[in-house]
Formats: sequence, structure tokens, C-alpha cells
Amino acid sequence: MNYDCLIVGGGLAGLTCGIKCASEGLRTAILTGGMSSLHYSSGSIDLFGFDTNKSIIDKPYDYIKEYIKTNKEHPYAKVGLKTIKEAMIFFQSELEKVNLPLYNIKDTNHYHFTGLGTTKTTYFSQESVFNDNFKKAFLEKRKIAVLNFEGYRDFHPELTVSQLKNNPEFQGIEVFTEDIDLSKFIKTPKNLHEFRSIDIARIFETEKYLPGIAELIKKAAGDAKIVSLPAFISINNYKEIHQKLEKMTGLLIYEIPTLPPSILGLRMDKALKTRFAALGGELSLGDKVDNGEIENNQINYINTLNNGDTKHKANFYVLASGSFFSGGLTSSYNCMKEPIFDLKIKNDSNRNKWFSKKFFEKKGHPFMKYGVETNKKLNPNNINNKSVKNLFCVGSILSDYDPIIEGSGGGVAIATGYQAALNIIKGIKNKK
Amino acid sequence: MKKLKTEVIVIGGGATGTGTLRDLTLRGIKAVLIEKDDLASGTTGRNHGLLHSGARYAVKDLESARECISENKILKKIAHHTIEDTGGLFVTLPEDDPTYHNQLLEGCRFAGIKAKEISIKEALKLEPNLNSNILSAIKVPDGTIDPFRLSSANALDAKEKGAKIFTHTKVVKILKENSQITGVQCKNCNNEIFEIHSKLIINASGVWGQELLKTIDVDLKMFPSKGSMLIIDYRVNNVVVNRCRVPSDGDIIVPGDTVSLLGTTSRKIDYKDIEKLEVDPDEIDVLLADSEKLIPNVSKTRSLRAYCGVRPLVAISGETAGRDISRGIVLVDHEERDEVKGLITIAGGKLMTFRLMAEMTTDLACKKLNIKKKCKTHKIPLPGSQKKQKIRQTIKSFIGISSSVVTSTMHRHGERVYNILKKDKKNSRIICECEMVTEGEIEYAIKKLDVKNIVDLRRRTRIGMGPCQGELCAYRSAGLFREYSKKTSEESIILLENFLEERWKGIKPVLWGDGLRESEFTYWIYQGLFGLGDINQNNKKTKGGKK
Repeated sequence: MNYDCLIVGGGLAGLTCGIKCASEGLRTAILTGGMSSLHYSSGSIDLFGFDTNKSIIDKPYDYIKEYIKTNKEHPYAKVGLKTIKEAMIFFQSELEKVNLPLYNIKDTNHYHFTGLGTTKTTYFSQESVFNDNFKKAFLEKRKIAVLNFEGYRDFHPELTVSQLKNNPEFQGIEVFTEDIDLSKFIKTPKNLHEFRSIDIARIFETEKYLPGIAELIKKAAGDAKIVSLPAFISINNYKEIHQKLEKMTGLLIYEIPTLPPSILGLRMDKALKTRFAALGGELSLGDKVDNGEIENNQINYINTLNNGDTKHKANFYVLASGSFFSGGLTSSYNCMKEPIFDLKIKNDSNRNKWFSKKFFEKKGHPFMKYGVETNKKLNPNNINNKSVKNLFCVGSILSDYDPIIEGSGGGVAIATGYQAALNIIKGIKNKK
Repeated sequence: MKKLKTEVIVIGGGATGTGTLRDLTLRGIKAVLIEKDDLASGTTGRNHGLLHSGARYAVKDLESARECISENKILKKIAHHTIEDTGGLFVTLPEDDPTYHNQLLEGCRFAGIKAKEISIKEALKLEPNLNSNILSAIKVPDGTIDPFRLSSANALDAKEKGAKIFTHTKVVKILKENSQITGVQCKNCNNEIFEIHSKLIINASGVWGQELLKTIDVDLKMFPSKGSMLIIDYRVNNVVVNRCRVPSDGDIIVPGDTVSLLGTTSRKIDYKDIEKLEVDPDEIDVLLADSEKLIPNVSKTRSLRAYCGVRPLVAISGETAGRDISRGIVLVDHEERDEVKGLITIAGGKLMTFRLMAEMTTDLACKKLNIKKKCKTHKIPLPGSQKKQKIRQTIKSFIGISSSVVTSTMHRHGERVYNILKKDKKNSRIICECEMVTEGEIEYAIKKLDVKNIVDLRRRTRIGMGPCQGELCAYRSAGLFREYSKKTSEESIILLENFLEERWKGIKPVLWGDGLRESEFTYWIYQGLFGLGDINQNNKKTKGGKK
């Protein structure tokens, strides 16, 4: 099989890259295990949330513009401000086409609430997480009901509320918690008290239950005008169901991300894959790329674990295999590696420098910044320090940024995925 | 200020302290125990959990060996729910001195330990993961013992018979009139000061006794030595594997519940460092390299965490070094030694001999109080070991609850499983999926077993001790703390943060491979998704705002 572009890894970076390539008519395939870090994400997209003093950034593009002048190794510096902006607009418009509108106001950051009632600065949110109506109701200091489903282990609204009350912006807003009993909609012998978010999302996806659920929400909300739910409102048909529920209840309903599996993340994953397929991209799930042949600083082909003999060939390759958690980087007792191509990675060689003393240390952990080093075009170096010209590295496999401490994970994935796609599109055109 | 009165105050909630409290209570003496942290949080809970047969001491220290085997037999009767009678092996490697093998057999014979030479084939049959190049093997009656459950069962029994326990409570001052002890002044975790009055104090605070006694100008020097251990994610052995050589670093692998422990190192440390012990990187190197020789490939197994404890050696007559430092049990009557009436110190010894130490201490206390009652702790089983549970029968009586939940709960709490599990769906839902801990077990622990935070909860239930080290169950537990304890939501969130910080201490020395993967995941959830590290900042902001 010969492709224009083969992408290893189907997370945010890989999918963004794939969608852009496919939208330009390139023969594109993504090889992925199936799950990605989207499955445990908040489902919002951060661009740049916090400066080096941990203060909140309001206008991320202004900040990035200055930041990349002095931080030349940061992935954003390699992509450049213009392309970052273009990438974010592209991403938003592509998701819009598959019914997953993302909220953003005039290129500024906003915030969403976490399960522990803290606030997280972010750039794009799904409309059930933040929108203008919430903002207005919130400024009017409307009463908020934080609801949970009776027996659900993975959300404890009392904890959420206790922190919200500590938030200066919540002074003067009445917040209370209430439970909803969903047991009558459950038709399995499984213990309701052990349901995960996905089980509950399925109840919401069952059209005939909606009026009943709406009735329960209304009752539990009392005289509150805003209602929050743990993020449950369906994976596949969320926009319609969210709108219907708001209409049936007459309430503003927003969602709070919960422990994994994250419905907000699954929703985005599903939408991106749908879009990629609609553009003619090929998605190969459930396999793992385990090695490839590099000759004359070019990749000749790659192999997968399940189809060892098949040589997957392409003009260009993209490595979007993630960080340690996803297996894009591996570590052992005394070294770190990129396991597919043995690319050069940037890290401290002494394992005692990989982490910070405290888990919640302000500066985060050094290992979060480790990864593959690339040139400006996102080409990595192989172990002999030679740049691999037909391979681009994107997303969290890259070094020199901290997705959590900076609040930049989503933005870097999208921007670098998009940049790699631009490079490939250009490369294919030149060949023709 | 609140004031209490009792007959005896026990300071220290390790195995010795809780064991002494139980012994006193069984002899009808009113007693109160004070512990500055949690039960079994000090030296007791920081060893490899070996139920010694005594064979380890048989060559050099016959007295210890005899104590061990005698207590080994008693504990198997009175505390069987905290014990796994796995058996143990002493194996000689090609590089080891082959004569030690016979010395060990002979020592065991003198001490009355049933040690038997077995063929290498037999040894490999007992323990298939064992290095097949061993030269010889001896089978001994070693086993494993859970120090947390042991201390908790002693405490529970004493409490049910009228004793009082204050954990997370510090002794601020020992009260004394002239040369007679009159009680203690304490401060609990809410910073409330209160007094307990009594004419007799038993100091069972182990290595921490030095500073405690210093407050009343009694000088008892401790010589702390640090021992580090490493836990791996799989139970790679079913039998305790000892290296047959003169005791040194990295010569034992002990199975325990779902994991195996690689032990141990021994390093002298300064007394001032006992509160900030950390596992050194080179200790990890030693443990992995030496364990690899006993069980090949063990170093490639995922390391879960590393931890260290401090063994106290006592200098009875004030010497700073040398032969007066005892390795055995040290019972000090401070009336004789320092002319302080009403003060006893019990120190030294081993986890294995805690009951014997408690007996000796209580005997002395009885003498002082003029009470003529005999020790019964070697006869009366602990709560949890009061009935031998039949697995099949127990599973049957909880139809509707998964059998792995029933057997795990039973394994941890013996017959008390009937006080814990209920067929109610909320009660029986699983909170910790690695270790099969239900909401019911958490409720029971919070209400009955002196649990004040999630770290304590871990010691009673094994929550967060499995492969994920508390990924989901930590948050769930915080929610349940709010529900079942007097903690507020805000306090419960702080408990969650403290728990994850405490887990981190043990994870970071072995942060590579899957452990690093898991930690990145945990970090994404608790910092990325929840912003837990920002809580303090948030709260500070508010407090600033209010000003």
C-alpha cells in the first residue's frame, strides 16, 4: 500500500494532521491503537493558559507572540503565530461541520469548572461547558444547582461546591447540590452504583427517556436557573440532546468534566474521526506500529505488530504517538527512548532529575517536557543525529513544552499537527 | 481544658503499643493510647512484613531465634487473619559461602526451628520463579504478616473492651510532680490541648522515645538505622525467599497480598534525620541487583514504590556506641534507672516479638500497680481471628456480591466481614478496583478503626496500594470521607491532596517504565483535569480577598 501520508497515532495531533491532509485530497491513513489521551481529557482545548508566574493569560496570541521570541525551542516557536491562528480556525470550522461547535470569544481565554470546583483557563470549550448564556446568567448571579446521579461514584458535587464557594467570582451566588435517581431508566442487572460515565451517557442517548430525565432535572433544580451535570450528555448526538434538554427544562444546562472515561473527550474523538472518514481518510484501529526502516535518513516503510509482514509505505510519515502514557516515549530504569524509530530525545540522563520532589509542585515535573527534538520543520533527528526528512513529529511526543503547567496541550497538538500537514501538502505538490 | 483520668497511658501506636494496650485491657486495667500519627505508621508499618521463623537469627543470635519461633507459633493461632502461612526457603547462590548452609541448619536445630534441607528440584517446585542455579535449599516455617492489620486488630480488641485511643495526637508534655509521673498533656489534630492523668506511663514510642524522654531530662539514646524496601507490582513468589548467607543488603523477597517486597538495606543515620527519611537511589540499585539473583527478571517487573523504615537500637546505660547497644528487647524501669516513678520504656525487639514485649511490659506495670493478673494475649484470638472462615461458606452467605470482593474483605478482616459487607447495592459497590475495597469497608474503617485521613484508610483497607496507586479511588475516597466522617468537603479535598503527595514519596524513587506512565496519567487527572494543586492558591486568593 502506498500513501501520501501515514500518521502514527490517532489523538488530537494525529487527527488534526489527518483531516488537513485528507481535506487537500491526499491519500492519508492513520494507524492507531484506538484510544488516545482525548479519552481522559477535559474536552476543552487549551492554547496558552498560564504564564511563567502561573498567572492567567487573557489573550493567548499576544502572549505567544512575545513568548516565542525568547523560547525558540518551544513547538509554538517552530510553527509561528500565523500558522497557529490558522490551525485553530481550521480546527474549529472542521468540528463545526460535524456538529461539535466550539465556543470562543474574540480570541481570548475563558475558563471552565473542574470536578473539584477549581477553574481552568482554556481557549475552546464545547458549548455545554461554556457559552454566552452561561456567562450572562453567571454575571447576573443566578442560583446554580450542581446535580449528580444517585450512586455515581466518580463525581462528588459537595466537593465541587465547597471550592466554588471559595472562588471570589462566586461570592453572592447561591450554589447547592442535589441528586437525581435514574434507576428507572436502567434495564441491566449491573449495579447502578458502579456505573461509569459511559453507561449514563447511553441513557441520555436513548431518545424516549429524555422527557423523563428532563422532568427529574427540573424537579431537582428547584428555583435555580443554571444546572450543572457531570459530563454525560451523549457521545454521538450531543448538540441535539443538549438543546432538547434545555428546551424541555427551560434551564441552562452545563457540563463538568469527570474522572475518565471523559464523555467530553470521547465526543471530540468521535467527531474528529467522523470528519476524517468523511474526507476519505483511512483509519486503522487496534494495531500498533512497532518499527520502521530508516535508510539514508528517510523512512522506507513501517511495520505493525499485528501485520508484521506488511510494509506500510508512504511519501511522508507523521509520528503522533504521544508521550509516556500513550507509549510514544518509553522509559526504563536508567534511560528514555522513542520506541519505533529510536529517535533522539531530549531528557536528563540521571533518573533522579526526571521528577519534582512534590507531586503538586508549582513548576510541574521535568518529565513532562521531555520528548523528541525536531528542527523548525518538525523533522526529528535519528540516533546518529541526522535529520529524518520524510518524518514529522507532532503533539505530546515533542520536547520543550509542558502541556499542563502552560495550559498548552491542545493548542500544541493542533498547531503542530496542522503545520506537519502543511509541510506534507507542500512536499507532495513539489513531487508532482 | 478537657481532662481525662486513667490507670495507664501508653504512648505509641505501633505493634508494641497497641499490643500493650490490649494486654493491659485484657487484665482489666483501664488504659489510654496516644499516637502522634496513625496506628502502625512508624517502624511497625515500614518493614517487609515477614513472619520470621527465627532462621534468619539462628546462626548468630539464638535468643532472638527462639523468641521468633515461639511467637511465630502463637501468632499463627491468635492472629491468623493477618498471616499467610506461606513457608520460606533459604537458598545458597553459587557465589555464597556454602558452609553457611550447615551453620543455619544447626542453629535452627538448637533454636527448635523446623528447618529441613530439600533438593533443588523440590525447591523449584515450591517456587518456580527461583534462580535454578542455586546450590542448596532449606525449607523453614517463615510466613508473612500484615503489620497494619495486626496493630489495628490489637487496637480494636482493646477498644471494644473499654480502652481509649487517640491517634494524630501528640504528647506535648509529660506531667510530673517531684519524681512521680502524673500524666501527659496532649494536642490533637484540631490543635485542641487536653490532659490525661495517670500514675503510670508506658513509653512504646520506639525511636521517637529519645526526644519524648528528653522533655523530662531522662536520657535514653537511640541509634537509628534505616532500612529500605521496594514493592513490585506482581506477586512473583508464593514462598518467602531468603538468601542463605550472613545477613546483608538485598537478601529477601517476601510475598504479600497482591505484591512482592524486595528487602532490605541497612544504613546508620543521624537521629535528627529520622523524620525526613528518604530512599536513596543507590539503595534501589542494590535491591534490584541482589533480588535479581534470587528471582531472575524480577528487576524487569514493574516497581510500584519504595519506602524505608527506621530500626531503633537502644543504648541502655547511656553509651554512645559499642557493646552496650542492645539489639534485643529493652525494658526499662525508669524508677530504677533514673529515679522517675511511674515510667516504663519498652523498646528494641522486632515486629515478631511485639506480643512478648507487651507481656513483659504489662507484667512490670502490674507489679507496679499491685495487680495480680496473668497475661492472656497468647491464648485469646484477636478480632478477625476469632473464627476460622470457610471461604465457600462465606461466599454463599453474601450471594449477590462478587466472590472476589467477599474473599478480599474476608482476607483483610477475618470474621469481621460480617460486620462490613451488606447486600445493599451502595454498600457493596467497589471503590478501589485494584484491591476490591467496597464502600462498606471504607465506612467500617472510618467509623470503627480510628481512620482520620485517606493515608490511614490505606493502612486499614489496602485502598490505593494496588497497581494504579489510587488513580480513581483517591477521589472517590475523598467523597466518602465527607459522607462518613466529620470532615467537611474542603477538608476532604485537602486529604486527597495529602494522600497523593504521600503516594508520590514512594513512587518517585522508582519512577520509570509503567510507573512513569501511570504517574503521567495521575498528573493529567489530578492537575490537568481537576487542578488539585491550585486549591491552596485558590483558597489563599479568597482569604486575601476577604481582608
